[in-house]
Amino acid sequence: MSFRIKVFLSITVTVLIAVWVVAAVVSALVTNSFERREAQRTAALVAEFQREFDRRGQEVARRIDAIANSDTVQRMAVNLAGPQPDASRYVDEAPALAREQSLNFLELVGPDGRIISSAEWPARFGYQESWLLEPVDWKAQGVFLKREDLADGATLGLVTVRGVKTGERTLYVAGGSQLDKEFFDSLPVAEGMRVQLYRNFEPRPAPDTLGSALAATLIQQVQQQPRELTRTSPAASISAIPLIGRDKQLLAILLVESSRAELATLKRTIQATAWGVGAVGVLLGLILSFWTASRITRPLRALAGSVRQVAAGDWNTRAVVDSRDEIGQLARDFNHMTEQLSEQRDRMIQAERVAAWRELARRLAHELKNPLFPLQITVENLQRSRQASPEQFDEVFRESTTTLLAELDNLKTIIGRFSDFAKMPAPHLESVNLNDTVREVLKLFEAQIRAPGHAPIDVRLETEQNLASIAADSDQIRRALRNLVLNALDAMPKGGTLTIRTQNVNGTAGTRVAVEVSDTGEGLTPEECERLFTPYYTTKQHGTGLGLAIVQSVVSDHKGTISVHSQPGHGTTFRIELNR
Amino acid sequence: MRLRAWLWLALSSVSAGSLAAGTRPHYGGILTMDLTGTFSTLEPSELPGLLSTLIGETLVRINSRGEFEPCLAASWQREADGRRWRISLRSNVKFHDGELLNAVSAAPVLLAALKRTYSDVAITPGGTTLVIQSASPLPDLLTELASPRTAIIRKSESSPLIGTGPFRVTAWEPGRRLALAAFEDYWGGRPFLDSAVINLGSNRTSADVFDVPFSSLRRILPEATRIWQSAPGELLALVAADVPAFAMQALALAIDRSSIVNVLTQRRGEPAFGLLPQWLSGYEFLFQSAPDVTRARQLASQSKLNPLALSYAGNDSFARAVAERIALNARDAGLTVQPSPNSGGSLRLVRLPLESADAAADLVILTRLLGLAERTNTVDVSKPETLYEAEKALLDSNRVIPLLHLPQLYALTPRVHFREADRGNPLILHLEDLWVDP
Repeated sequence: MSFRIKVFLSITVTVLIAVWVVAAVVSALVTNSFERREAQRTAALVAEFQREFDRRGQEVARRIDAIANSDTVQRMAVNLAGPQPDASRYVDEAPALAREQSLNFLELVGPDGRIISSAEWPARFGYQESWLLEPVDWKAQGVFLKREDLADGATLGLVTVRGVKTGERTLYVAGGSQLDKEFFDSLPVAEGMRVQLYRNFEPRPAPDTLGSALAATLIQQVQQQPRELTRTSPAASISAIPLIGRDKQLLAILLVESSRAELATLKRTIQATAWGVGAVGVLLGLILSFWTASRITRPLRALAGSVRQVAAGDWNTRAVVDSRDEIGQLARDFNHMTEQLSEQRDRMIQAERVAAWRELARRLAHELKNPLFPLQITVENLQRSRQASPEQFDEVFRESTTTLLAELDNLKTIIGRFSDFAKMPAPHLESVNLNDTVREVLKLFEAQIRAPGHAPIDVRLETEQNLASIAADSDQIRRALRNLVLNALDAMPKGGTLTIRTQNVNGTAGTRVAVEVSDTGEGLTPEECERLFTPYYTTKQHGTGLGLAIVQSVVSDHKGTISVHSQPGHGTTFRIELNR
Repeated sequence: MRLRAWLWLALSSVSAGSLAAGTRPHYGGILTMDLTGTFSTLEPSELPGLLSTLIGETLVRINSRGEFEPCLAASWQREADGRRWRISLRSNVKFHDGELLNAVSAAPVLLAALKRTYSDVAITPGGTTLVIQSASPLPDLLTELASPRTAIIRKSESSPLIGTGPFRVTAWEPGRRLALAAFEDYWGGRPFLDSAVINLGSNRTSADVFDVPFSSLRRILPEATRIWQSAPGELLALVAADVPAFAMQALALAIDRSSIVNVLTQRRGEPAFGLLPQWLSGYEFLFQSAPDVTRARQLASQSKLNPLALSYAGNDSFARAVAERIALNARDAGLTVQPSPNSGGSLRLVRLPLESADAAADLVILTRLLGLAERTNTVDVSKPETLYEAEKALLDSNRVIPLLHLPQLYALTPRVHFREADRGNPLILHLEDLWVDP
């Protein structure tokens, strides 16, 4: 993940979290405030309902008193208390009296509890209203809520009862007003609020009942245990207030709905604002990330470029220092580091050069000392032979010159080798099939390997069938392979297995060709492996230490790589990879 | 069959006895009468029962005992096979225009009326005798001759209706007013009143006589006003269309008729358990049963029933009150009945008039009006037992539930007096028996 994306994500996430937290807090505060206000409004409405209930109750009581004290009812009471009362003649009285007093319900009930006349349901004459016969002080009972059965259903009424006593007989006047729409219309319902009465004898809330499912649940809960309850949905908050009748029965539930549409709108606005701010934050994050990243990564990129240049060998590269911040310090440190490295490299090169010269001198001295010693002996023999007979001198002279020539040839050979190493020519590239080259090299050693007295060597050639051709100098490659095979044979003085393997290698740098030369000799230590390609380093008693140096030189000139894998006791494998 | 209604007469005499007490009858005076109903023709068959015999008369009539008795006919003879009847007309009977009633003048009117019932009937007039014959027997000819449809009447340019009755028409404003004057030459003797003015479609209570519908029975009447009550002459019944039998049985058991009678008719009506009232049939008590809500509820619970619409005449507040009471009683039994003034419900509350004092004729008419005529067509109505069985079969069909038998009610102011006389149909207030104080 790039630094720019990291910066962008950091800024975006920070902005979004901040916006979300602010939006959540504001939303919570608004909700809390809204709910507090709705609770106050509901409480005020319920209080107003109670006041209106009481006011209407007083009005009902006053009107029922007026009816009970009217001449009509008093006369009725007297007649019904007579010896042969005829209640049927009064069947039409209640409707007239109810109309007179603007009451919705009025029943005149005889001493036996039978309805004499009913305003709300005239056909109910003769039916029993036994609850009126209970020993109750109706005046003290006051006004109460009662279910009223009507021809077309049932309804609720504010009802009170008065008894008109004549002698031992009592005529009951029971009546009141309906808890109707007009009642609720008179309540000061604030905007966004609705009031509805669920009558407990209805099978289920009417379709237009507040809040549908929520109201139904609420009603069910209040029915199970009559108490004030409030429930909230995303759309509305509904409070349910149970209305209890005279006999402690739940008669109705007052449902007060407060619409939460305003809150929802507010929340939506907050949400939209948060989204907007979030989007702006993301955009800002994008811009800031680009700006910040460019501010920060430009010197870093420059620094990285310098690093790459150093890696490429340009030790004189210096990073631009244009700030005093951490990156500037980094650039200064980098420059200091490259300066140090450059100086160290120079010192190392100098030291290596000195070491190389010393090594060369030592080698030369060593190589040259061997032939020189016979030369010295031969020359001294030749000097001493001058005192011998001419025949002996001729014999010695002949032998000495032969020896001198042989040793001089030896010296020339040694010098030629050093000369060859010094004069490694630039490769002449041509299309080369490594399989063929490998076979040619092995053919050179075939006679040596099969020579009598030579340790038994098992040669294994594992070549890739479709080995790609490479652009290489076949002579130099052959020379390099020859050195590796020679080394392998030298590593197995007691015999073993020589394996040469070729293969195509698909890597990031494209298809390459590899050739491995493995032996099953004693192997090398890690320290030996490290120094293996150093010129004039050898593990052999009579080696010049130039073989592998030449191999590395050839591989290097072909832009290839050489590696060695070895463990003591497990043989050694040299692997060369060359570009196509 | 002619059933005696001595019981009703006794009761009627008691209730009306006080009306007859006081002054002795005397001639003269004008009677005013307000009727809530109205009619636009003076055809005797279309007139209300109160007026049907005042102007035109029939050859025979049925008295309060249910017997045929002579009216314009002095006597009649029937041949054994019932195909030929000889009717002797009463002598010295004059039409309102002074013309004497004879066979020639009566025959065309009678033939036209009888042809509506007997297509092959023929009448041969001969002096004061009418010979009525037909290819098939005419067993109920007397019933037909007692019907207002066969009243002997004529029409002329000077008078819309000329008959032989105790009153003659002096003025006629169709649908509004009918003025009658006493017919001096009435064969049965001049009526007490000089004249009578009848206002139609009036709800006033200021006339000497006015009818009292049950819907306004409980209203306050002028002081000292008395009520004249006819024999129960109207059936209030529930008629069903496509209502299951069990529902009808449940309804019949649920309805508390006595409460309706006591309160809504102020005891003027009678609970009806048969189509014909007890005074007319003599066997209605056999159908009597008490309300049984428990049994009704059991019956109603047999199967789930959709609400039953109960229609009644929209302008009849009494019918509405009864319908609402029925709905209430039905509710007690678990049935839902919805009263509605609109026609077409599965239940109809109907008021069916009894036209005569002849039980068989009334039953036939009732069944025809109820749409159940096919059930009485083959019944021999001349025997009380077959009439009972026919009516029982009708009731058992669960198509009709009799509710009340209602009388006609007339309010009489104190200046009106009434003389009780058996002039035939007890369903009618006979104006010729009234007189007024000067």
